Amino acid sequence: MTQITTMTPDVLQAIEHVGRLGRRDFLKFSAAAAGLAAAGGLFAPLASAADLPPGIRHLSGPEYAVFHRLMEVALPTRGTALVPTARIPVLQTLDGALLATMEAHILKGLKGGIAYFNEGPTAMFGKPFVALSDIEARAFCDIWADSDELPQRALVVGLKKLVGLAYWANPPTWAPLGYDGPVTDKWNLKSLGNAPMPTA
Amino acid sequence: MTKTIEVKVPKHGLPVTQAADVTDSRIHLKVDAVVVGSGAGGAISAYELAAQGKRVVVLEAGPYVPSEKFAEMMAIAMGTLYQDHGGQNNSHGDIAVLQGACVGGSTVVNAALCFRTPDYYLKRWAKEYGLTNLNLETLTPYFEKVERNLGIAPNQRHETSPGAELINQGLNKLGMKGGVAKRNVKDCGLTGFCFAGCKSDRKQSMLVTYLPWAAAKGAKIYADTRVVQVLADQGVAKGVRAEIIDPATGMKKADLQVDAPIVVLAAGPVQTPVLLLRSGLGNSSGQVGKNFACHPTLSLTAEFDHPVDDFHGATHSLYVDEHTLPEEGGYLLLNAVQDPVEASFQAEPGTGERYMAYMSRYRNTIRLITLIHDKNVGEVSWKDGVKQIHYTVDDEDFEAMKAGLKTNARVLFAAGAARVWVPSSQRLMIESEAEIDRVIDGLKNQPARYRYTSFHPQGTCRMGADRTTSVVNPRGETHDVKNLYVADASLLPTSIGYNPSETVYALASYISDQINAAHP
Repeated sequence: MTQITTMTPDVLQAIEHVGRLGRRDFLKFSAAAAGLAAAGGLFAPLASAADLPPGIRHLSGPEYAVFHRLMEVALPTRGTALVPTARIPVLQTLDGALLATMEAHILKGLKGGIAYFNEGPTAMFGKPFVALSDIEARAFCDIWADSDELPQRALVVGLKKLVGLAYWANPPTWAPLGYDGPVTDKWNLKSLGNAPMPTA
Repeated sequence: MTKTIEVKVPKHGLPVTQAADVTDSRIHLKVDAVVVGSGAGGAISAYELAAQGKRVVVLEAGPYVPSEKFAEMMAIAMGTLYQDHGGQNNSHGDIAVLQGACVGGSTVVNAALCFRTPDYYLKRWAKEYGLTNLNLETLTPYFEKVERNLGIAPNQRHETSPGAELINQGLNKLGMKGGVAKRNVKDCGLTGFCFAGCKSDRKQSMLVTYLPWAAAKGAKIYADTRVVQVLADQGVAKGVRAEIIDPATGMKKADLQVDAPIVVLAAGPVQTPVLLLRSGLGNSSGQVGKNFACHPTLSLTAEFDHPVDDFHGATHSLYVDEHTLPEEGGYLLLNAVQDPVEASFQAEPGTGERYMAYMSRYRNTIRLITLIHDKNVGEVSWKDGVKQIHYTVDDEDFEAMKAGLKTNARVLFAAGAARVWVPSSQRLMIESEAEIDRVIDGLKNQPARYRYTSFHPQGTCRMGADRTTSVVNPRGETHDVKNLYVADASLLPTSIGYNPSETVYALASYISDQINAAHP
């Protein structure tokens, strides 16, 4: 915690440096991240960026790298019955269903926030988030989650929430949880349709 | 006044004009009343006005999603049925302000829980805001009417969930009494998907009640149609200007103008004040958008040593309101089932393996919601084409939340929980009943520290007799603009501590009668 407090000026400099966005823009990002939905099957053909996987249209290469690294450290499945992230289109879901529906000013704030997040560990670990080891990356996330700095808490919660939603929104992730998903058709529940007009 | 020809209510679905149906780039309609929004307030207003022979058009900014297309997946529902695709938040980003944004509005995605407005608040509104007309004697027939029309009734014994049964055991052990939920649900299918829309039309939302009834009385319903300006001339409402937006592309398909001598705003407590601010109307008091409250909620997640499978059943089936009035604590406890997507962000077990281990035990978890009666300390603003919800949980309200969380945790441990997770940004768990006070007393009221959800925005165009301190008069008409009415939860002068849907149903019915009386 001491480290976070002493690095505050650096963080503020990073905010200034990264994308020339103010604190408010980062907060707007977290507003988008806090209640977002995800849906599979919404993917469109890749428009550009040959170094990015298909289905990634709203992230640059560096932004994709941050999310990919965060996915790796936040959603490990080794030793569990859970479906590995490599078999789920997590970042395609994130891009196609979450980022695609963001208003432009929110998406702009998010992009600044991603860069700010990636630069966050520099003062503490001497390297950006994408270069941290698994142990360092998880420690960094947990330190920021308990930070006295509001943007740091908001960012780490928001970014982890995004990758989490993008994973759990995919129905193949449910079976290992014992969750059976939609049931109305399975249970053969008939629609009651519209109610009759009231008589009084 | 042109009389409409009555037709039968269709058995299923609604006649709705959608962006895909529109071929002209300019549309000009002339009707008796235009209703902005198709949720609780808008649908009821549309029906009640159409039933009196008025030509009514309803304009809904969201899409029309017929119930057979409901996916029963929260993630998809958020993207298709909710405001801002589920991303509407306060400016700190720590409170998700959830509202429906589809034909039928929030009634499509709420949990159908209904409470009459407590007399405590009616008396307070009379005393502090001059709303002596909204007394129990006047409103009781309106509550009875909407309860009859929407089938609002206490849950039957089987309308419960595995988690609710455990919570009930906990309440019994503590000598506390849970209330049986009253819901506008007919023959509940017990799927647990109220928040994603009721695919089998058991929930008596506006989609299957007042909207088809209004349509049968001749009302025309437009989806994908966002009102951008209320039109008025010399202090008298004249209609609205709107844009029909193709939801697939986000591009404008047509401009729509509706000329109408009656304008009813029922777009909800965020969009209604935004519309007034954009129109430069109704704000001589300076109160438009002010006094925002939202009933912030925090869910404690209890983990058991055995599977509970609390994901199907009645979405809500019990509540605890022993401490709901402000003098008694100011909090309400509600159970709710949840799917993995909702569960995935309700707790912070730590990054990585600890989080995935926690999620692996999803079947063992249940949640109990603490909802607080909050002060009207927020504001909805419109600046540079962007809406903002400025709201920070008040320090006194946070103390009410802490008291509620303590009771909540005691109930969960009494129910047999092995541990209880606090929805904070950092890892925070209560391992035993003995730890509750220490952990909860240590919570500080900090933005972006907790994972709040609000289902009940309210109060941004408050009703009152004094035009210098309120936006809308006791009959539902704005003080400043004649024939411009508001009929949604914007009206509520204070938060009411309980789910406000039945209050809105009754108020919309009451205001419709005032409109019909003023415009025979």
